[in-house]
Amino acid sequence: MIANLLDGIVLGLQFGLLAAGLTLVYGLGGVLNLAYGQMAVISATTIVLAMDAGMPVFPAIALGLAAGGLLGLIFDLTILRPVYQRQGEARVLLSLLLTLGLAFVIDGYLSWKYPTKALTLRIGGGPIEIIGVRMVRGAVVASIITVVVLGVLLFFFRKTTLGRAVRSVIEDEEGARLVGVDPRRIMRLILVMTGVLAALVAVTRSLVVPVSTTAGFELTVSAMIVTVVGGLGSVAGAVLAGIVLGIISTVAASTVGTVLSLVILLVAAAVTILIRPSGLLGVRE
Amino acid sequence: MLEVTGITAGYQGGDVIRDVGFRVEPGEAVMIIGSNGAGKTTLFRTVLGLLPPSTGTVKLQGEDLVGISTHRIARKGIAFVPAERRLFPRMTAEENLALGAYPGRPDTATLEGVFDLFPRLSERRRQRAGTMSGGEQQMLAVGRALMSRPRLLILDEPTTGLAPKLAAEAYRALEVLRERGLTVLVAEQQVPLALAFSNRGYVLENGSISKAGTSAELAGDPDVRRAYLGVS
Amino acid sequence: MTERFTEATGTSGIGGIEHRGSRSMAALLVPVVGTGAVLALVPLWLGDSGVMMGLAVGGLTFAAYAIGFNLIFGSTGQLFLCVGALAGIGGYGAAILADKAGWPLLIGVIAATLAAGGVGGLLSWVAVRRSLGVIFTGIITLIFSLVFTNLILGLGSITGGDGGFHVQAGADTFLRQRIPPYYLMLGVVLAYLVVHGLLRRSRVGWAFRALRDDELAAEMTGVNVSRYRVVAASLGAAMLGLSGAVNAFTEGTISPTTYGFSQVDVTVLVMLAFGGIGTLFGPVLGAVVFSVIDELLVDLGQLRVVVYGALVIVLFLWIPRGVIPTLADLLKARARSTTISRPGTTPAPPSSTAPGRPSP
Repeated sequence: MIANLLDGIVLGLQFGLLAAGLTLVYGLGGVLNLAYGQMAVISATTIVLAMDAGMPVFPAIALGLAAGGLLGLIFDLTILRPVYQRQGEARVLLSLLLTLGLAFVIDGYLSWKYPTKALTLRIGGGPIEIIGVRMVRGAVVASIITVVVLGVLLFFFRKTTLGRAVRSVIEDEEGARLVGVDPRRIMRLILVMTGVLAALVAVTRSLVVPVSTTAGFELTVSAMIVTVVGGLGSVAGAVLAGIVLGIISTVAASTVGTVLSLVILLVAAAVTILIRPSGLLGVRE
Repeated sequence: MLEVTGITAGYQGGDVIRDVGFRVEPGEAVMIIGSNGAGKTTLFRTVLGLLPPSTGTVKLQGEDLVGISTHRIARKGIAFVPAERRLFPRMTAEENLALGAYPGRPDTATLEGVFDLFPRLSERRRQRAGTMSGGEQQMLAVGRALMSRPRLLILDEPTTGLAPKLAAEAYRALEVLRERGLTVLVAEQQVPLALAFSNRGYVLENGSISKAGTSAELAGDPDVRRAYLGVS
Repeated sequence: MTERFTEATGTSGIGGIEHRGSRSMAALLVPVVGTGAVLALVPLWLGDSGVMMGLAVGGLTFAAYAIGFNLIFGSTGQLFLCVGALAGIGGYGAAILADKAGWPLLIGVIAATLAAGGVGGLLSWVAVRRSLGVIFTGIITLIFSLVFTNLILGLGSITGGDGGFHVQAGADTFLRQRIPPYYLMLGVVLAYLVVHGLLRRSRVGWAFRALRDDELAAEMTGVNVSRYRVVAASLGAAMLGLSGAVNAFTEGTISPTTYGFSQVDVTVLVMLAFGGIGTLFGPVLGAVVFSVIDELLVDLGQLRVVVYGALVIVLFLWIPRGVIPTLADLLKARARSTTISRPGTTPAPPSSTAPGRPSP
């Protein structure tokens, strides 16, 4: 049971990190990025290709993170430009459809060009014992990285001027403009940041399971569900929802099997959304 | 300081204000009075670049602001307190104030100045803005505007939703600011308060300026007395 | 012309159709019959090849899916990302009832169709009751899609799991012959077009289109918007279920990918976006065009997905309303410049007048 719980937290932290990127972009500008999982996959593929070419692990990872950030910038400068010109629901819908198209372009290309590539980062050494439970070393390292990244994010949003400016746009875009914040620049910054976050998700996940070139869609959907359950625009909510759903998922998996556990997970998510459409920690509108 | 000429602006349904012009000199307190729907908010939104005018110019110390985005205008020394306040509800009072100084960091002396003016904000500095009372939120909105150390403070109906006593208090605070040399432009429906506060004023009716004059002139104008002061 | 058109559409409720209907019914039926006649010729051309006929039936199945989805999303703005799942309820439901429970095939199809309609109605009812917007409706229905797929995978003893199963029922009937399934599916598509056409012409259908332009106008017509949403979703979902069920028997094999999200929902969305969301014939045009494109690009393998993705982007950026409305506007502009206009055949110009009151 405790083992399940710990596994659930490991999974949940990754869910949380995954959802953080999606939730920020949505909260900031009403943009739903359905190519988010593909950002992670592109970063993963970049790392694999760099390592195949003989690059050592850490520079390769750095390259992957840079690729993620660059991708975010490219999204902002290209496909999202027409999206920014719309308002309200039309904006969400257009962003959803355009990024869905983009997701398919990326998915199709990667699975055509690199059908068998997958990122697997292995960390040597045996399992680590935590409160009497033996945990895979990779999972522990992945969780530590995730916690550190989430901590940095939290510090950025709470304590720095720029981080507060980001939150101000989420809270009230017009109010933010009136104090001198440029929402477009904030959006660009956050897209670059979510690109890096997606890359980090790819890296931490690959410490536990291989990240294949076709994993994009699954990552996006997980991120979206966690995001909605946590409350759109709330990073803390995303982390909380990630952990809750992660625990539900692993506990259910050990009792009813993987496939049906996914059903339970999804139903739990649906019920949460129906009871609280604003999510666990979302803004009530 | 601020000179607006020939502004026509509106939304898809049509023009809300037509050929509106007014000016604010440094150190003045100027009011724009008008009833609900006269176009006061539209006028201010146009000045702040939140709404593009179809014609006209908005000049801040000679520089045309039309076409400049709101965040740039805000950084040029105009602070705007909208009627709906536009605070950041899930952030603390202190964080709201800090953002007022964006992109800079909040300056301690300015912050102390705001707390001097509104001691309540000092008590509530760790409280989330969304959970504060209407009066406190109004103080916070003005306080946030002051954090940028503006040259010109524009307020749109600062007494909206406030009880008469709180409304009078709000104007006392504005009085203090004016005495310190801040230029203030205020739109108001509660005309007696605004008349007592300002040097000059304009009457906005159905989207056009119908009268202009010193506060004393306007207070003596029979039309103004009938329409806005309830005196026949 | 404007006035007459407004009058005709405004009053063509149930009563309106009866006494005024001959012309407006003709305006609906003539293009439907025309479409049917053109599509009916396809077997003359491709009838010799079993593979090509299979593709043609597949194309019509997608046309049927697209009409069902169009009824839900295009007409009433509910983003149902569970087209495949609803079709799958029909397909798996009917096949399981016929094969494993031993029900007569037709009864199984009817039961599965009703089940799909019921689920669609329930989803819509929940969305309406919780006043979920487009995005939340999309997410809830997407979750439903995933639940459905995982249930199919998880209940392998009944569904055959990942590999699916061969449908025995109907194996020795016309359903597995080369050409009859094509005409069956064509009949389904034409029937759907008539149903959707009638619904659009009804007072509520008119009000719903008005709602998109002007909420107040729609409210003033006194239509119960929520109820119409649920009815449209139930009807659309039943259409999806029926198409899925027919597909299961004509195909002979079903698996999770037959009704998968990436396989069905995305394709249907592209087809609809191409043809024109909310238009009557857009789904058919989109399905036909994309079935042809799909076949032409078959050698590209996975790269086809790239083409589709790029098409989605191009379509939504440059012809967001789809080909039919864009072409219709072009034609209308030309018609206006040559002052030739025939009532009923060109789309109604935007009219500021409120729709006529319902006939007493």
